[in-house]
Amino acid sequence: MSDPILEVEGLEKFFGGITALDGATFDVDPGITGLIGPNGAGKSTAFDCITGFLDPDGGSVRFRGEDISGERPSAIANRGVVRTFQIPHELPEMTVRENLALAPREQSGEALVASWTRSDDYYTDERRAQERAVEMAERFEIDHVIDTPAGELSGGQRKLLELARALLTEPDLVLLDEPLAGVNPTLEEKILDHIQALAAEGYSFLFIEHDIDVIMEHCQEVIVMHQGRVLTRGEPEAVRTDERVVEAYLGGEAQ
Amino acid sequence: MALADFLVSLLTVVSVYTLFGLGLNIKYGFTGLVDFGHVLYFLTGAYVTVVVTLPAAATSYEGIGGFALPQLLSGVPLGGLLAWFAALAVAMVVAALLSLLVGVPTLRLREDYLAITALGIATILHTVVNDERWLFNGPFGVRDVHQPLTGAFPVSLGSFIVNLAVFGLVSVLVLAYVGYRVGGYVYGVDVRAAALSTVAAVLVVAGLGVATLGGSLVLAGVVVVAVGVAVLARSIRQADGYGQPVALFTALVFAAWYFGTPLVTTGPSGTLASAVWLFDPTAGANGGITYGRFVLLVSAAFVGISYWWCERTVNSPYGRVLRSIREDEDVPEALGKETFRYKVQSMMFGSALAAAAGGLWATHIAFIDPTQFTANITFFAFTAVIIGGAANNRGVVVGTFVFWTLHTGTRFLNDYFPTEYATQLAALRVMLIGALLMVILYYRSEGLLGEQTYDTGVAADGGGHSE
Amino acid sequence: MVDTGLVNALAQGVVTGSIIAAGALGLSLVYSIAEVPNFAHGDMLTVGAYLALALNNPGELPFVPNAVAVPFAVAAVGGVVVAGVFGGVYEKAVFSRFRDRDADLITMVIVSLGLALFLRNLVLFLAGSANVTYETVTRVDTNVDVYATGSGVGVELTKRIGGDIATLDAWGYGWLTVLAVLAVAVAAGVAVYRWRSADTGYERVHFVSPRVLAVATTLVVGAAAAAVARGGAVSTANPLYSTRVGVSWKYGAILGVMLATMLCMNYVLKRTKTGRAMRATADDQALARVRGVDIDRVQLVVWVLAAVLAAIAGVLLGWYASNLNPNMGFNLLLPVFAAVIVGGIDSPYGAALGGLMIGLSMDVGAYLLPAEFATYRTAIAFVILVAVLLVKPEGLWGDA
Repeated sequence: MSDPILEVEGLEKFFGGITALDGATFDVDPGITGLIGPNGAGKSTAFDCITGFLDPDGGSVRFRGEDISGERPSAIANRGVVRTFQIPHELPEMTVRENLALAPREQSGEALVASWTRSDDYYTDERRAQERAVEMAERFEIDHVIDTPAGELSGGQRKLLELARALLTEPDLVLLDEPLAGVNPTLEEKILDHIQALAAEGYSFLFIEHDIDVIMEHCQEVIVMHQGRVLTRGEPEAVRTDERVVEAYLGGEAQ
Repeated sequence: MALADFLVSLLTVVSVYTLFGLGLNIKYGFTGLVDFGHVLYFLTGAYVTVVVTLPAAATSYEGIGGFALPQLLSGVPLGGLLAWFAALAVAMVVAALLSLLVGVPTLRLREDYLAITALGIATILHTVVNDERWLFNGPFGVRDVHQPLTGAFPVSLGSFIVNLAVFGLVSVLVLAYVGYRVGGYVYGVDVRAAALSTVAAVLVVAGLGVATLGGSLVLAGVVVVAVGVAVLARSIRQADGYGQPVALFTALVFAAWYFGTPLVTTGPSGTLASAVWLFDPTAGANGGITYGRFVLLVSAAFVGISYWWCERTVNSPYGRVLRSIREDEDVPEALGKETFRYKVQSMMFGSALAAAAGGLWATHIAFIDPTQFTANITFFAFTAVIIGGAANNRGVVVGTFVFWTLHTGTRFLNDYFPTEYATQLAALRVMLIGALLMVILYYRSEGLLGEQTYDTGVAADGGGHSE
Repeated sequence: MVDTGLVNALAQGVVTGSIIAAGALGLSLVYSIAEVPNFAHGDMLTVGAYLALALNNPGELPFVPNAVAVPFAVAAVGGVVVAGVFGGVYEKAVFSRFRDRDADLITMVIVSLGLALFLRNLVLFLAGSANVTYETVTRVDTNVDVYATGSGVGVELTKRIGGDIATLDAWGYGWLTVLAVLAVAVAAGVAVYRWRSADTGYERVHFVSPRVLAVATTLVVGAAAAAVARGGAVSTANPLYSTRVGVSWKYGAILGVMLATMLCMNYVLKRTKTGRAMRATADDQALARVRGVDIDRVQLVVWVLAAVLAAIAGVLLGWYASNLNPNMGFNLLLPVFAAVIVGGIDSPYGAALGGLMIGLSMDVGAYLLPAEFATYRTAIAFVILVAVLLVKPEGLWGDA
């Protein structure tokens, strides 16, 4: 049994009068983990707190045993935790190629003086970044629009770009915020296949999803959140039949 | 004054403000930072350059310094010039550090907060410079601006004929080159569009000419000009894109004004004087290159170098990160780029360029005071950058040229109204600038040239080269 | 010899603060509902001030026909009304078009900048750059001198008439009386607070919040009690402390207009259908549209109101300073922005309170600083702005 890759403990977040996170505690093991819960359960807020886009008001987040609570998003990303956004944040005026080439970390050309002096490393790193961008575009089948401004892509293509770009940072853990929302079934299949393949290559995923069938089929473990706290966790089958989970979903809708 | 002198002066001002605009474009066009206080670094550049090179006991100057660097380096050959370069370098460093101080509290803020805070800081520091005599002599400004190598000018090669021949030849070659480039650009335009552009140019020139005759003919002249503009619009519709017709129109109007007007007023010698713009026949005994022309050449060189420098910065992975910050700061941050550091660097680089512009400005105008550095200067630069196309270095050059030509050109109209209306005519010009800004943002927010294309130096198919 | 002191600076600050608050109120509306950081707001102030001038004192303006010159109060109202029409023009001609294009924040900032340049120079073009004034009472020459002595508090109303200082009235309070007056005022305030807050449920939206009502009650009751409890004049020979406060019915009028404006705005926002639509749009424009709110109409109302509020501020400013010039509004832009950001963009009342705070700080700061730093009044507003941005960027009364 391997160590958890992510440990969240007692995470709290308040917005004025609203309690978004009320002491959420969970561990994420390597592999594919699902995060479910009714609307308003605090899933996206948890993502924001884990990746540094929000400062938690209490609790802690540990990645591979190291405390990352309250660090800047870029610092957390450089540790190997990357996230996608529910509504894709493509860089609209930049081409798909540029969107992707931006992602790889430690490019020596990304320093001001280096961009002027242009040593050999500059060219090597940039060439590598461009090559990887093309590879990833081909892998996700968006290479035919590689020189189109990202703002002109279709919704599905943007989702793929979002995922492809996140992967180019060579992360250890990818947090996916509803990667399948608004996606047609064929594309959905493709994305899930990609995720499975990548998991086999050693990437870990934590993804927010509403479709129970998807969770059942693809996740090794499921965490259920409700009203800012973790309700339960376990294997998909066990969670699905858990009374409390059913009630949370029904109860949430009855409001 | 010969038209050549006027053109030289105009082009120097355009060069200075282009440099200023290049700095702004790094901050705003490429990184998305709305620095409404950009003029602060222009001011810093001018004042620091002047004060470092000011003689120690300058008359009626009660501010800090002068640090008399030219005097310190007087033993060194070309010491005055070296001192000036050193002063300029110091000014750029000071401006960069100042922008760092400004940036640390403000660059984490949202764009609109950044805008108001930057404006606030610039306004307050402008008040400080204006009110505190002990700093930079307050509202009285600084005279005795060190102008490097001024003693060497006018430069003459010995005799009038030789001067005319050599400098004239160079002048004509430059004009010919410009004509060649414009011609190459315009070549291949739809013939009817070309004809329409020519007619438009004739109408506009004729209209302006009639208007200058004064009286009720002013109105007639304006009407003819308006018709000319309408014909130009027709020409644009006829052609495939507006670039070629407008370039043709502009070239013809320029030629008519620059070569035609002196022909009418003073005869062929006037046209010749325009053609040999580098040579001023009235400078010294045998004519020669005046100091003003030297300053123009230096300024143009600065613009060239800075343009290259900006292009190199922007056409790189670094530039890619800057643009990603402009598009959506969350993305580069989520990918591991520390956006704050990039924003600070962008501020510092852009401010250093503005400071260089300030130093050049001081040298050109030979006397600086706080009224030359108001917030409007920043706003004009924004307009120029947006007209030309934000995030396009060539756009800055074009936009600044268009803006200042219109701005200075319309100043001629002042002569046809009683002098007590001078302030109000100036106000009318700025009103039009405000309106132009709104109109351009609505109808053509990408400006004349749109955003530029980028090439990081590594070809897209994976091939590359080392230098 | 009695000199103006801190109290006088406070009084000035309240007046300056009221004017900034009026400006901030309009800017806050535009910021939160139209989502435009309106850099033209200062110049809308100027336009309003000059419109009133055109009606009141047309002789001062070169391009304006010397038609009818009306008394200041009428001109003020007229100017404000016409300014409101202008507000509608700004919306229809400029901002609605960019809104329909989903323009981003930066674009809106620069568009408003263009409008600012246009308006400021329009005024300069039509009116020239000379300083002008309204045709109305301007001088503030009445003073209230307050003395704290061993036997009590003495008050003298003095006025400069023909080179001499004449005492118009004098009265005093024993120390016990002073305490009694304070006690009564505070008690009344507390009682009102208790009474109003007992009436709270989750659904109850008070027209005026209990706290505000309580403070207002304390002030009113205190003033009434002080008027009633006036005693004979107290000897002012050896005062422990004395201070002079310049007063004028002008100050009272400005404060009164400000309060009336706030009450009207309060009514509009809380009790009218349009006001509710405005608040809904501020919260979530998409949601409001779904609920049937006519967004275009709401935006039009917002810009008209903003122009009206700006005009009120402009007229008050011109009246208070006894001086108009084309840069008057732009000079106030920084304090007004500071007030809105300090108060929290989403809270008009916060913006108004912020304005009051900033005005007070500016005048008290100018008083406390040595005389040669008088031109740095605006810098004080700016320092407060930066301080708040660093500590609580959403504003003192804003939501996170």
